[in-house]
Amino acid sequence: MKRVGRYIAALSAALALIAALACGSSGVPQEDYDALQAELNSTKAALDAAQSGGTTSGDMVSKADYDALQRELDAAKASTGGEMMGSRLDTVKQRGKVICASRNDVPGYGSLDAAGNNVGFDIDLCRALATAVLGDPNAIEIRLITAAERGPTIQSGEVDMLVRTVTWTTSRDASWGNYAQTMFYDGQGFMVPADLGVTSAYELGGAAVCVTAGTTTELNMADFFRQNGLEYNPKVYEDTDVVLESYKSGSCDVFTNDRSQLAALRSALPNPGDHVILPETISEEPLGPVVPHGDDQWFDLVKSVMSLLIYAEAYGINSGNVDAIAAGDNVKAKRLLGTEGSFGQEELGLGQNVGQDIIKAVGNYGEIYERNLGEGGIDLPREGGRNALWADAPCSDCPKGGQIYAAPLR
Amino acid sequence: MFRVSPLHIAVVSLALAALVACGDGDGEPGAASGGSESDGERAEGSRLDAVRDRGSLVCAAVTDTPGFGFLDETGRSTGFDIDLCRAVAAAVLGDPEAVDIRSITAAERGPVLQSGEVDMLVFVTTWTTSRDVYWGNFVQTMFYDGQGFMVPASLGVGSAYDLGGSSVCVTSGTTTELNMADFFRQNGLEYDPKVFEESQVALESYASGGCDVFTSDRSALTALRTTLANPQDHLILPETISEEPLGPVVPHGDEQWFDIVKTVMGILIYAEAYGVDSGNVDAMAGSDNVKVKRLLGTEGSFGQEGLGLDETVGQTVIKAIGNYGEIYGRHLGPGGIDLPREGSRNALWADAPCAGCPKGGQIYAAPLR
Repeated sequence: MKRVGRYIAALSAALALIAALACGSSGVPQEDYDALQAELNSTKAALDAAQSGGTTSGDMVSKADYDALQRELDAAKASTGGEMMGSRLDTVKQRGKVICASRNDVPGYGSLDAAGNNVGFDIDLCRALATAVLGDPNAIEIRLITAAERGPTIQSGEVDMLVRTVTWTTSRDASWGNYAQTMFYDGQGFMVPADLGVTSAYELGGAAVCVTAGTTTELNMADFFRQNGLEYNPKVYEDTDVVLESYKSGSCDVFTNDRSQLAALRSALPNPGDHVILPETISEEPLGPVVPHGDDQWFDLVKSVMSLLIYAEAYGINSGNVDAIAAGDNVKAKRLLGTEGSFGQEELGLGQNVGQDIIKAVGNYGEIYERNLGEGGIDLPREGGRNALWADAPCSDCPKGGQIYAAPLR
Repeated sequence: MFRVSPLHIAVVSLALAALVACGDGDGEPGAASGGSESDGERAEGSRLDAVRDRGSLVCAAVTDTPGFGFLDETGRSTGFDIDLCRAVAAAVLGDPEAVDIRSITAAERGPVLQSGEVDMLVFVTTWTTSRDVYWGNFVQTMFYDGQGFMVPASLGVGSAYDLGGSSVCVTSGTTTELNMADFFRQNGLEYDPKVFEESQVALESYASGGCDVFTSDRSALTALRTTLANPQDHLILPETISEEPLGPVVPHGDEQWFDIVKTVMGILIYAEAYGVDSGNVDAMAGSDNVKVKRLLGTEGSFGQEGLGLDETVGQTVIKAIGNYGEIYGRHLGPGGIDLPREGSRNALWADAPCAGCPKGGQIYAAPLR
């Protein structure tokens, strides 16, 4: 009985504090806010326990009362845009790891190395986030999901980030979660056996096409064939490796996917030279991480981590020279590395030196690209492509003239 | 069984009342509430409802920068930023004139977003990580700019590195002010900052000789130079000292509204990419290009229903405002302050499908699907 009373008192005080913060008043000590946040979390836990377990003792209020409080808590959370609650950041810190929904079946993006470790471009984005929040690039849990499971997984909020070669679209932004940042510009293409004798996608009328279910790939394929008045026979599978197996075994004539994945998967075929990637790019596929809706602080935190990776490359900071540059005299580089000024670390709940931690642990954007998608990985050229840094990037010999760009750190 | 006491409920209610009261701008119910739940359910888009109930879209804007936001001879707000506001009004209210342009200073930008009293900020606003956290959600970069310096030709200076010891006019509360400080300190140059609330006052001070140098985004320098008595007597120095990606910002806490504004920006950009403009919308709606038909709402969907927008919102927006290229041409291109777009970062992306449009730049948006 007293317990419940205390929770409600704490809840009331916390709500008042949230109201004060939402009104823009300042001067609330961080430790007070943190203490109330913790109490609020335990209150919420009690509410959840009561709701799931029913009323089992005299201490418990009725479910209806709890429901009413929960609704008010939700309303308060919505009114502050979720950011004052910082709940996902707290949850991740308490849990001690970042949960990323990803994949292990596409070399370059997400696969297993010889030792069974998750590796790849998308995996490294998850590791960068884990370093930012927990100081440890290995404090990750990779949940393997199919393409079709991506929406439900991010909508449920059961993962902290989705990094699974996910194309940004307006509908997904509205119904799945918040797209943080385009980290790779891709486009869809077609692969065929060389002995099919086809040199253009416009010659694919009547072909059987293997494709993964629940993807923009499937939708773009349908658009393409319809647009061009071509008949085709779609063979749709849940898992990409099954799609590839089916293509290898000859049960379809064509395999369609993002061009970068075609290149990666072709390199894993027994005789890559026996397969041709057709020249046409039929769609826009900007890929990047997605976070659940409802927590602007978490959204901003992930965006800032992506900015750190990109601007580190632009400023010439890499995993090998972090310490030297942190002690140097470039004010922009020092702001990135936390030795001077701020780009919002405190409000995001990040350490002042988060930039140093991340770049030491996973390297800058260019290093991540190189290791996984460049010469150290599936060997996609970056120079001259859309995945170079922007034209005015200040670095002297980095690939420039592309679209890789992020919010300036300041 | 324990019952929650009325006192406890009263305390909670008071706290919530304080919250709701502070969030509402000018007594517009629900203007600042909203957001969505972590379980993925979309909450009611209360800002969308508030805008529709009100019948106008409130945009905080710049009104003294030619090209981006200013008043024409008839006193009507016009400019690139103003047209982004009008595009959203067309999308949500069906009328590009249903806008309420609030003229603010640069330093007021954060506060008006944080209070939720405006629906959108379009004020040559640079995206930064801190502003994304403190102010609201940056929607989309619609113009890539960078900071530069303007000096009188008679000063005899050819480079920003020669500006040691000069007095510099600047607007307060801007990234411009911060970047200026970085630049002079980085290069070990002394300088004397002259800080003004309003850019027009800063410019007048420069024009009257109150400082040696005027600093702003390069596009603004170009635009403002044309308003000086003898533009050719002033030079824009070659150095670009910062990144200034400009675009609209919306208040935190309403993801449906965030997504609506993002989608409208996507419509403007993809319309240019697909060759749809204000003059050919009707003809293009009847085309057999499936991407064009999806944009114009004659086939398929890019999420209109979930966003609370009409199926044919693309037609409405492009008829009313034109595509990105038309807006640029009218205000920033030959019809306005004449900033070259071809070959610049403000061209469409390299793989854009349009035939004659400027490509190879960074203007890009979420694919409409």
